[in-house]
Amino acid sequence: MDEGINKYQTSPNFTPAEKIALRYADLMATDPEAIDAAFYDELRKHYSEEEIVELGTYIGFNIGYHTFFGTLKFYPMFSPDGRLVSQEESARLYGAAPASLVGAGAD
Amino acid sequence: MPHVEPIAREAIADPELAELVERCEKLGVPDALFPLILARVPGYAKAILRAMLMSHESGNVDHRLKEIVRVQLARFAGDRYFSALRSKRAQAAGLDEATVDAGSGDYDDDPRFTEAEKLALRYSDQMFLDPGKVDTAFYDELKKHYTEAQIMELGAFIALHYGMQVFMRTLDASPLAAGKASGAR
Repeated sequence: MDEGINKYQTSPNFTPAEKIALRYADLMATDPEAIDAAFYDELRKHYSEEEIVELGTYIGFNIGYHTFFGTLKFYPMFSPDGRLVSQEESARLYGAAPASLVGAGAD
Repeated sequence: MPHVEPIAREAIADPELAELVERCEKLGVPDALFPLILARVPGYAKAILRAMLMSHESGNVDHRLKEIVRVQLARFAGDRYFSALRSKRAQAAGLDEATVDAGSGDYDDDPRFTEAEKLALRYSDQMFLDPGKVDTAFYDELKKHYTEAQIMELGAFIALHYGMQVFMRTLDASPLAAGKASGAR
């Protein structure tokens, strides 16, 4: 999971198709201008038009909602070992400042 | 043409999806282009179009205010497609272009907006520009003007429409009809 966020471009754990999907998400959040006709041509080498629309809407939806959720400051109801925990404990467990996408993986 | 082309309207086999496309056209946001691109994935298209229409047309926050918020977000996203579209319902209710533009400008000093409206515009403005400023104190301020239900309605509206605008921007799409383009870029 962490490799998919932080170093997907160089990781051997992802196929070229997976890497470009991750790059699609990365760039849509951090540098949408870079998603041009050439980028979509590259996507088409790995995905159908239907899959591209599915990916694009999924990514847009998540960019919108995760930013909104971030402002609400809520945390998972359950701890990693499955216990129902208070929001205060959950904040301690999962961190008060979630890691942000900074485009590091696209380097 | 956008980087992913729309399907032909006649290719929509699902009557529910066809009806949603018509509802979008009737409102004017979106026009048929976005739904016909989404229609490549019918299940997604139905869920997203239904949510977009519900969040824009229903609820207890003034539709005109949500339309001003939506255009502000589209301009911020750099999406010329959604920037140029206008809700026919909001226009029929008296929303003019000068007020739409004011919502994307120096709205805090504009006497045409109430304090509640200014706060809603700041909510959308800050959500993606500087979400760290949408903190507990900001939500406390929102609660002076809006119910919890209205805050959720606004927040969900902002999140969904901005997300789709960001995606549409990457497709480099333009509205089907030449209208009052709003200079998104």
